[in-house]
Amino acid sequence: MQAEDPVIRLDNVYTAYEGADRPTLADITMSVHRGEFVIIGGPNGAGKTTLLETVNGMLTITHGTARVCGHDVRTNAVRVRRRVGYMLQNFSFDPLTPFTVDEVVLMGCYGTVGLFRRPKEEDVAAARKAIRLLGIEDIADRPIGQLSGGQQQKALLAQNLARNPEVLLLDEPFSNLDMFARESINALLADLTAAGVTILIVSHAFDDLPDHTVRVMVMHDGKITLDRRCAPDQVEATVRGAGGAQPHA
Amino acid sequence: MLEFLIPNVVVCHAVEAMLFASVACAILGVIITQIQISSIGFTMAHAAFAGAAIGMFLSVNSTLTAILASVCVAFLIGPLSDRARISPDTALGLLFGISMALAIFFIAYMQTLGRGFSAMGLLFGDVISLYREEIYLLAIICVAAIVMVVLLYKEITSIIFHRRIAESLGIRVQPVYYTMLFVIALTVSLALPIIGGLLLYVWLVTPAAIALQFCNRLSSMFIVAPIVAAIVSVSGAFAGLEYALPVAPLTAVAFSLVFIVSVLVSPRRRIAKQKG
Repeated sequence: MQAEDPVIRLDNVYTAYEGADRPTLADITMSVHRGEFVIIGGPNGAGKTTLLETVNGMLTITHGTARVCGHDVRTNAVRVRRRVGYMLQNFSFDPLTPFTVDEVVLMGCYGTVGLFRRPKEEDVAAARKAIRLLGIEDIADRPIGQLSGGQQQKALLAQNLARNPEVLLLDEPFSNLDMFARESINALLADLTAAGVTILIVSHAFDDLPDHTVRVMVMHDGKITLDRRCAPDQVEATVRGAGGAQPHA
Repeated sequence: MLEFLIPNVVVCHAVEAMLFASVACAILGVIITQIQISSIGFTMAHAAFAGAAIGMFLSVNSTLTAILASVCVAFLIGPLSDRARISPDTALGLLFGISMALAIFFIAYMQTLGRGFSAMGLLFGDVISLYREEIYLLAIICVAAIVMVVLLYKEITSIIFHRRIAESLGIRVQPVYYTMLFVIALTVSLALPIIGGLLLYVWLVTPAAIALQFCNRLSSMFIVAPIVAAIVSVSGAFAGLEYALPVAPLTAVAFSLVFIVSVLVSPRRRIAKQKG
């Protein structure tokens, strides 16, 4: 892949859920470069989550081409997912789930470790570093099912950071976080983009954004209706102007 | 294999069969209960039961027909729910009903033909009339279950944690999932003649449920569940043969008693009480 090539490139992409009579995403064309911070807004059902899951190959592309991190998403989805972190919007864990936070974070490396192999010392070190970055050392040995929603969200973000992703797809990552946690995670995300990680974030919380120009995409009915760069303090007005703002999560 | 410890060949075969079947079922039971696919395990056990009954009726190898039926059910659940636009749970209910109907029909029909005695073994298990080859097969599937868990440990744990998150991490979820179903199908089919179709589910679920009372980590569950299963099953085999009691039902009752005691003495229960 050349340095100039976009990290994410979608051309006329259509995605449909199995059994659906019309595509959930229609004719999506977009390019995202290394280190970009993209905020995706839009009303419920606009296709924001579908767009993220199309980028990492979890949903089948029915038409069009998509290349992410140099791989064709249609033919190499598993390889794409090993280089793309994805934090789901909806998750819930049973209080009896037999996994501690450090085990969950280490799982972030499992895709890249390879079949029939054990995680190496550097994988364990990467997991420890991710735990430190998120400031969750104090809950590292606690079962994840017994933590608050915000702590679980931090653990899952740490899980994604443990494998040093080139692209980070975050679906409502702030929904369970208090204002202090939101500030620190936004600062962390800003550091990551400065280090070259590309971030696509679906959010309805537009405060505490990184201190530099961000890219805003607004979606409606499975299509991108607005795609523009703006200052962090103009993001909310931009999304509202495009009719894509919703009450604060 | 254990003749050097147990000179009586009949007792030795029964103990070996119970040991291998219980260890394999307990290991797979941890996966079944933690992924919460108990209904799949339940339906596969009954499909194996139906397959064995059909095989017996047709006078072909009943273990082979049990494996075929069980594997077919494992691989039919997804397509059936997609094609018929029904939930996987409803698909399982349908397959379970069909399996039971076929099994009961053929067993009842064999009884009218005067071949009911051998068919009853499928219902309640029979540890006495096992061939040496059947015990070897059980030993092989027991080793296969252990090897599968050791080799695919990180993939299995990720799927147990959260299937969609595992997929997003770049784990090849589908092949691992179907490998697990395939090994479960083989295990229930091979364990069926000794444990019986009606009781097999006890071996699949109860040891894992007992281990859950004492373990906070999945790795310890994979160790505690087979140890408990082996102790209870071997004791059940010895006691049943010594006092001329039906081995599999006796062991199933023993499993249930151990489960009740483990709930009563569980450290988890004590912690919950203190918190309350």
